Amino acid sequence: MSGHESCESIAGMLALAAAGVLDAQEQRRVEEHARECPACRRQLEIWSGYAQGLKQLPQPPIPAQLMERTRARLIEERAAAADRRWDELMLGALALFAWTVGLTFWFVARIVTGGELVVMGANLVRLGTWSAGSTVLVWLTAAVAAIALGRRRRELRRAL
Amino acid sequence: MILAAMMNPEAFSGAQDAIARMRRGDPDAVAAIVSRYQHRLYRYLLRLVREPATADDLFQQTWLRVMEKIGRYDARRNFESWLFSVAHNLAIDAWRGKRGESLLDPEDAEDSGEAPGAPWRSGEPDALDRLLDFERGAMLAACMQELPAIHREVLTLRFEEDMRLEEIAEVAGIPLSTVKSRLRRALDGLRAAMDARTPGGRKA
Repeated sequence: MSGHESCESIAGMLALAAAGVLDAQEQRRVEEHARECPACRRQLEIWSGYAQGLKQLPQPPIPAQLMERTRARLIEERAAAADRRWDELMLGALALFAWTVGLTFWFVARIVTGGELVVMGANLVRLGTWSAGSTVLVWLTAAVAAIALGRRRRELRRAL
Repeated sequence: MILAAMMNPEAFSGAQDAIARMRRGDPDAVAAIVSRYQHRLYRYLLRLVREPATADDLFQQTWLRVMEKIGRYDARRNFESWLFSVAHNLAIDAWRGKRGESLLDPEDAEDSGEAPGAPWRSGEPDALDRLLDFERGAMLAACMQELPAIHREVLTLRFEEDMRLEEIAEVAGIPLSTVKSRLRRALDGLRAAMDARTPGGRKA
């Protein structure tokens, strides 16, 4: 194909040729045409000037302490993520512990009371009643303990 | 990435090693990677958003997001494209919360079509020719500032970051054909802005 292509068919590719983004075949078409056409050659030179200029734009200065501030935020975020993981772990561990204690006490209460401890018309040592009561207590205790422990831990870290 | 490995194998393997260590949570590797990309990432963000304070904040947010997502980063992907796409998405989110310029300009609708060629005439001296060497960089930078954000972005990614079309497509989340037409429109817009600004230009 070549050197006989019209300027119109090449004109749209000149800027992209200078930008170095045409495929090999398109690039060859542009170069072959530009060799024989002074007007398009001139345009290609101008676009190449733009491409060169854009590669050498004045560089913006990095703001003062940007690296330090970024590092500090990363450290802060890492600590916050560790705290969140610790809180979740602690909440789970406390809940498990409280459930174990609840079940143990249920067995002990059944043995001691002979399977019947009626308070306000409800048999407290029935499995359903005991489970419902201890579930509420377990989660409340575990949540309060986890929050208190987490807060204490954060205070200690801040104090260091 | 392959090209980077061929041109500077030691630096390339060093960066890959630091990225691998960063994925394991090594704080020294995080510092090394942030330091390595600080100038390029900040420059990209500044070209995109123009305001230093916004670029500064987005820079920090980008690294926070990178650390949050690094576990899901596929090591076979180009880290630079991934990093810049994280920054690009954050810039879009920041824009959504603001009035004024949008990253998705109305003219973006025409972006995927063939870019019309500006009527550049061959006989007249070009704006770049009318400027002295030391004036060109500053004038180009000033004219680039006048372009829509999507055009500033494609220009900085192609010419300052030396990214291939495929990498630019990945960063901006657009098809390859759109990158090409967007680049062409951006160059036409830049040349028109230069022409309008320099004495003796067509629109001066």
